[in-house]
Amino acid sequence: MQFAINGLMSGAIYALIAVGIVSVYKATKVVNFAHGYLIMFGAYFYFTFAVIVPNQPWAPEWLASWNPEWMVEMREGLPMFSPMGAILDWAANVPRILLGLAGALVCNAIVGRIIERVLMRPLMGQSVFAMIMVTVGLISIMSGSAQLIWTADAANVPYIAPNTPIRFELFGSMIFLFGTDLVNMIIALVLFAAIVAFVRFTKGGIAIRATAEDQSTAYSMGISVPKVFSRAWVLASTTGAIAGAILATRNGISPSLGLFGFSVLAIVLMGGLDSYVGVFIAAMTVGVLEAMTQWKMGGNWAEIVPYVAVLVVLIWRPHGLLGQKEVERI
Amino acid sequence: MINANLKSSYAADERVLDNRYKQGFVYGSILLLALFTLFGSDYAILIGSQMGILLIAVVGINVLTGYTGLVSLGHGAFVAIGAYAVTIFNNVATGIIPAGIMPFLSLPFAVFLAAAVGVLVGLPSLRVKGLYLAVATLAANFIVIFLIEEELFAPWTGGMVGLTTNAPNFFGWVLDTKREMFGLIAVLGVLALLAAQNLMRTRVGRAFIAIRDRDYSAEILGISLLRYKLTSFAISAAYCGLAGALFAYFYARILPEQFELALSLQLVAALIVGGLGRTMGPVFGVIVIVLVPELIKITFGAVTGDAAGMAQLRAPLQEIAFGALLVLFLLKEPLGINQIVDRILRAANRWPFARG
Amino acid sequence: MLRVEDLHLSFGGIKALQGVNFEAREGEITGVIGPNGAGKTSLFNAISGFYTPDRGRVFFDGDDITALSPDKRAGLGLARTFQNIALFRGMTVLDNIKLGGHTRLNTGVWQALRYFGAAQREELELRREIEERVIDFLEIDHIRKYPITMLSYGLQKRVELGRALAMRPRVLLLDEPVAGMNREETADMARFILDVQEQFGTTILLVEHDMHMVMDICSHIVVLNFGQQIAAGSPAEVSRDPTVIEAYLGAAA
Repeated sequence: MQFAINGLMSGAIYALIAVGIVSVYKATKVVNFAHGYLIMFGAYFYFTFAVIVPNQPWAPEWLASWNPEWMVEMREGLPMFSPMGAILDWAANVPRILLGLAGALVCNAIVGRIIERVLMRPLMGQSVFAMIMVTVGLISIMSGSAQLIWTADAANVPYIAPNTPIRFELFGSMIFLFGTDLVNMIIALVLFAAIVAFVRFTKGGIAIRATAEDQSTAYSMGISVPKVFSRAWVLASTTGAIAGAILATRNGISPSLGLFGFSVLAIVLMGGLDSYVGVFIAAMTVGVLEAMTQWKMGGNWAEIVPYVAVLVVLIWRPHGLLGQKEVERI
Repeated sequence: MINANLKSSYAADERVLDNRYKQGFVYGSILLLALFTLFGSDYAILIGSQMGILLIAVVGINVLTGYTGLVSLGHGAFVAIGAYAVTIFNNVATGIIPAGIMPFLSLPFAVFLAAAVGVLVGLPSLRVKGLYLAVATLAANFIVIFLIEEELFAPWTGGMVGLTTNAPNFFGWVLDTKREMFGLIAVLGVLALLAAQNLMRTRVGRAFIAIRDRDYSAEILGISLLRYKLTSFAISAAYCGLAGALFAYFYARILPEQFELALSLQLVAALIVGGLGRTMGPVFGVIVIVLVPELIKITFGAVTGDAAGMAQLRAPLQEIAFGALLVLFLLKEPLGINQIVDRILRAANRWPFARG
Repeated sequence: MLRVEDLHLSFGGIKALQGVNFEAREGEITGVIGPNGAGKTSLFNAISGFYTPDRGRVFFDGDDITALSPDKRAGLGLARTFQNIALFRGMTVLDNIKLGGHTRLNTGVWQALRYFGAAQREELELRREIEERVIDFLEIDHIRKYPITMLSYGLQKRVELGRALAMRPRVLLLDEPVAGMNREETADMARFILDVQEQFGTTILLVEHDMHMVMDICSHIVVLNFGQQIAAGSPAEVSRDPTVIEAYLGAAA
């Protein structure tokens, strides 16, 4: 039971990352192999604005650690490691967490836009193969730049939510988890739902879907296809920023965060490139399977779960669980 | 289009090197290669060997991606299989098989094993296309490397720390210098190119291109997609297996991390930079993809004077240059260097009459 | 030679073919006509093996080929061209036509890698045959080295016919061979089709919208409408058939 819950929590984060890949694919027919690196950038931006900037000498003191009078008072007389203490620790970090999130969002949106403008736009209307290969090239460019820019080793980053341990009973077994994981999961799920709703119901979303269906027709119906492209990329990079921030708190920051993107890519294909629901199911399944594998066979084997799963699913259902089969007209 | 070279038989028209400039270019290159083997500096030989090993693998990728149109981002795995197969075969068979004939058995073993795994990995290609295949091969790459690293197989593969390898011994002639190894690599490299070119001018190669260009149309001409896609996978994996075996012979040690995704991407990038689906594409691509990081290393050393703090910036710079090269070619010259060279050769053939 | 029996085909709720029965007789030209969406191309795809019919069977020279894959059918001698040209754009005209010879050649991978020897002999023999039998015949010798993308639409159609001829087909399916062509190109193509039938004795089945051409060169015509076969017979019979006239002109007022 514990493993199922853990699995669902990492599954939710997979889903949040996957949503970026699916959105870009839906709008532009390009599978972004470098999405993992976009997430890594998000993580590094979060780190920059939540840790590096507040620690600068010129930064106001309340940014690094917010300690108003009432908080000091409340803290007095609390025992060590009490839930309330954890919440207060978190409260002290709120300003820098907010700054970190805002900074990551804005910077990643800019990065996404630049990628779309400089690399993707010139290839519009050309072979999809070229666009995908550009994202492959992007992998090296981004991973190299990250090492150039953020040479320093990443320190601890503040948790997004209070990290109180929570313990409860479910179906007769004891469940133990951290508050921050729970909040992460909720954030991931809410964002996922919001994006799906956006694409389903709003005008902008319909434009994306129309473009996905037929680019030239959408263009001639007055939908600005370039705008849809850049919107999709910005959407992907901002969700990537949040996912990056969450991952930074969970796994720490390192250039290997980019590799995470590949397992998510496997998950996306498993679910079906153009199906949000399929991808959601796949993300949750892989999350749980990973937790199970970790439990039964050890942490190493968990690494390849997504890859094995995708191969199995692709052989059984070539277009993923819920992916649409392309009908070929002859 | 001008077709100024008069031919009087179909045989003459079917030749690959159908004009003097192409002949001069190819025979001249082979001559230079021979001279280079004898007189090149040690450093140049080292770089040349790297290129040669990579070249054989890229020729393999070219068969699959360039000609058959199946994208693979996992061919590093086949290089790994070749490298490990030849080493493990050697370790297991030492004492059973005389050292002098070992390479004649271990090399084919490595090549065939890679081809067999290639067929296995190629199976999804029958049902999935393009992207799905790229990710399926990528997944295969991760799995193969994982299995090599896995403790369960460590007695044979050495796990994370890898294996020490030995130099090949042909009837008692041990190729234990880099220069001798380069000779072997060069000969096999030229043969690999020749074989690929031959393949492409027969029924099998045409079937590959047909599948790439329009698969249903290929079927209607009697080309079995199943058979030819798997054949293509097997051939390309075999090439990579050979490259891997040479890699193991050339270096003193092999590590699993050398065959990870980065290698797979490097192979594809070299092909794109050189020219997708062209015989000489891999040659140009490999030269660029090996030389550029090397040049960065040299200039970087000269500029910073090897200052300690700056050295750690070099690897990321090389990485960026590699990605930038790939992106630049995709944006500016998607047909690769081969296209540029072709243009020059064509102009030379027509000179002094027409340009362009 | 080629016979379809009670062919039914549907995509989801759309019934593309509902009980088509006819035979293309050996050495003759049979035309399939019908308004847009009548199921003509679906019929071709079912005959060449891309679609599996829900019901009914396809016979080739008396053998049931309903379950064979497209490439196996090609091996038996069933060739076709496509409505929207399906040439290999990355190749020259010559290579495209050479592909037509695929099923007749035997070079395996090992021979191909060596080339010199058996593979070379076979290639040169193929080249000679193609030059004499296809390229001269279709009068496309001036463009043999051109890449497909450089050719006009009419020439591309002709090269596609050439590729099918290189298969030495026993039955040739032509899907709208003159669609989109001007009068002169149409006349040329009609002449080539008749020449193929006369010189090689090939059984030809063609789908076409150009009524004049169909009436002129076909000896037997099948009319489809909404997936149903509404008439069959000689050109003269079909053009008098009231149901055909209705399908084409609408019900008489």
